[in-house]
Amino acid sequence: MSLAARTLEAAGIPTIVMGCAKDIVEYVGVPRFAFSDFPLGNPAGKPKDQASQTATLALAIRVLETAPGPRTTVQNPIRWNADGLWKLDFSNVAQLSKEEIARRRAEFDNGKEIAKQRLAEDRKKGVT
Amino acid sequence: MSTSEWDEFGFAPDHDEPIPYRKRIRDYYVTLGFGTPYRWAHYADVPFTPVTRPVAKMRVALVTTAAPYKDGAGDQGPGAPYNNAAKFYKLYTGDSSKDHDLRISHIGIDRKHTTAEDINTWFPLPALRDAAKQGLIGEVAPRFLGLPTNRSHKSTLDVDCQDLLTRVKEDRADAAILVAN
Repeated sequence: MSLAARTLEAAGIPTIVMGCAKDIVEYVGVPRFAFSDFPLGNPAGKPKDQASQTATLALAIRVLETAPGPRTTVQNPIRWNADGLWKLDFSNVAQLSKEEIARRRAEFDNGKEIAKQRLAEDRKKGVT
Repeated sequence: MSTSEWDEFGFAPDHDEPIPYRKRIRDYYVTLGFGTPYRWAHYADVPFTPVTRPVAKMRVALVTTAAPYKDGAGDQGPGAPYNNAAKFYKLYTGDSSKDHDLRISHIGIDRKHTTAEDINTWFPLPALRDAAKQGLIGEVAPRFLGLPTNRSHKSTLDVDCQDLLTRVKEDRADAAILVAN
């Protein structure tokens, strides 16, 4: 998504990225970024909380309009929850058992195989 | 500094900062034996097009990485495990004036803390239509755009981003909101 923002921007179309992965979006480098410190998958606000969704989009629109230059990041002031303990969980190997690691390895290999087959099928159909 | 002093000044605990995803994922790859860790695109220079008129007068396009619900492609949530079969590989568009059933089971979301039960947390099309009604933006571009999340930088840059640019120009959008997952 960051690459898409850069492409549009370079062609003269101003962009704003809404997202939750601060380090990744900033590492790629985007013109404007409305960052929400929420679990991945909630870039537009909190579930069943319309006020947070409205405010999150309104912030993005303001950042789009007012950013003084590239790499402008503005953080959404809304908190996911009070203790922030959810941040310890994502892909944190320190918290996985041996069995869980083995299970995830198998799952990954299976996913890779499906993607490979689909790409091959799409190529045959001339889709890609 | 002792814990009591920490409390005294109201400092946040060490873990309460944005997750360092690149480090987490790199360590995860190495520990789980996934081979070479993923390398994100990375630029020193960033393009910038100044906004020279009010967004309240602009036609704004919405871009998403979410996927249309696909019959027969397995569990797509809420609460679905990672679902590669639900992925899409070509840019798609949808009518911005209508509601859509878009899912995020094909993306590396936080599967413990993200419930994926409320589409408005990842696809703010109704909110964007409301923003237009309230005059925060001029209007919503007629089509929203679905961008594939391939792991190939080459196909993203050479094909998907170019397709996206073509559609945004066709719709004469003045600006774009890109919602990453």
